[in-house]
Amino acid sequence: MKKVAVVGVGETKFSGPQDMTEVELFAEAAMEAITESNLKPKDIKALFVGNALGDFAEGQGMVQSLAAENIGCLYVPATRYEGACASASMAIRDACMWVASGYYDIVLAGGVERAATMGTGLATRTFAMFSDSRYEYPAGITFPAVFAMLTHLYADTYKIPLQKLREQMARVSIQSYKHGSVNPRAQFYGKNADMTVEKVLGSFVVSTPLTLHDCCPFSDGAAAVVLASEEVASKLTGKPVYVTGTGQSSCGPLGNQSDYLPRIRAREISSQRAYEMAGVKPQDIDLCELHDCFSIASLIAAESLGFFDYGTAGEAWEKGEADIGGKTAVNPSGGLKSKGHPIGATGAGQVYEVVRQLRGEVEPERQVPDAKIGMTDTLGGDGGTLVNMIFERGW
Amino acid sequence: MKTGVPFREGLFQGSDEKGSLLGARCRQCGQIIFPRREACLNCLGNDLELIQLSRKGKLYSYTIVHMPSEHFEPPYAVGWIELPEGVKIFSQIRGWQERPLETGMDMALHFEKLWDEEEKEVVGYVFRPSTNGGA
Ligand SMILES: [Zn+2]
Repeated sequence: MKKVAVVGVGETKFSGPQDMTEVELFAEAAMEAITESNLKPKDIKALFVGNALGDFAEGQGMVQSLAAENIGCLYVPATRYEGACASASMAIRDACMWVASGYYDIVLAGGVERAATMGTGLATRTFAMFSDSRYEYPAGITFPAVFAMLTHLYADTYKIPLQKLREQMARVSIQSYKHGSVNPRAQFYGKNADMTVEKVLGSFVVSTPLTLHDCCPFSDGAAAVVLASEEVASKLTGKPVYVTGTGQSSCGPLGNQSDYLPRIRAREISSQRAYEMAGVKPQDIDLCELHDCFSIASLIAAESLGFFDYGTAGEAWEKGEADIGGKTAVNPSGGLKSKGHPIGATGAGQVYEVVRQLRGEVEPERQVPDAKIGMTDTLGGDGGTLVNMIFERGW
Repeated sequence: MKTGVPFREGLFQGSDEKGSLLGARCRQCGQIIFPRREACLNCLGNDLELIQLSRKGKLYSYTIVHMPSEHFEPPYAVGWIELPEGVKIFSQIRGWQERPLETGMDMALHFEKLWDEEEKEVVGYVFRPSTNGGA
């Protein structure tokens, strides 16, 4: 397989409800990525676009084809990926494979979503479609409920008093708010930097024991990356970021993994493949953008990815070991919690952040010093789809 | 009176004290699964027999949901119930206002109305804290 490089990245601001269509949002992110790559739309050989709920959000299907036309990528193959919140990561991973195979030398991959525009009612109903409609949905499952149940399981499994665990989880949200508050592309830019444990615990209850500040928002936004072969990349940029390892895993509803819970088995398998392919270990990762749809999800993810021992991630957050300057910097972008979670675009937004961190281009307050290796972690459904990718500096 | 219809065929039979959830046992390795599938998740064998699952179990995890969903007004409770067969059932939980939920407590299967539709009422399984000991 050929080496694959990210040669350009683009992203809209992640936000609450806004008026641009998904085609327009994607075009903004895509054109930023193409321009940054010193390319023109005619150079793009294929598009890979993550989008989960566009049909419901704006009555627009086949967004990938319209998006291709909109940016001037005429008559090239454009393919849409749907894996709930992991859609864009699936798109980027598959795009990598097409370049690695040698079939295409330059492709565009990313994602777009208008989850905030849908409003809480429609968003809640459509997000629940990613649970098992045969028996999970009719019983009243919601995603906050899933992670709320995992919170109880986590406390029971690792013998941490629930109140203590909730305080540790609050630290996760506080760290994410801090980084997002200085990220101009974040939904909560300039907000919530003064969050306290008391405020997190005292905000309104969504699903016991999770409160509002344990949960990520609904967001609109798009992100895109240009991938190229090593040969092409060397002509386009002095700072190619190589995709050195990827992994993906599927596992139906979470009940299938119930012998492992609160660990997410699909994530352990997916990340193991990525580590093996890249030839690196968890302790080599300088920063990770991981899927913190809920504060407890950060603890579970950081442990499954091997950054901290099982049952100790909460402590790690308290000690700053998951922050910039700690063992592994987690979510310096603000993560889903503070940067936002436009589900079909989220994975591409994670790659955008990792690439800019490795290039040393983010705001100084949230730059991970001398970052060389970065990782993304994206979860779709209630653990049904997991994608992990590892990126390394090519200079 | 409206007719009661199950929310989905094949997940359970009966709707009284004799009703039960329908799972499957793998004839090759003994693994028990719910709901039924074409293949065993443990050994991937496809020789499975239909079985009736126990009506009692223990609460494995739970949450009280405070946001509305399509069919249920908040607050309502959901959770996983672990049956003696080792299988964990995701279900709505009722009776939690009278008996505060606690991991490990004994739970019993009931069949109740889940929600109303125009001409019918949709019936499904729920678990409630049990009064006379678990399995
Ligand atoms: Zn078997």
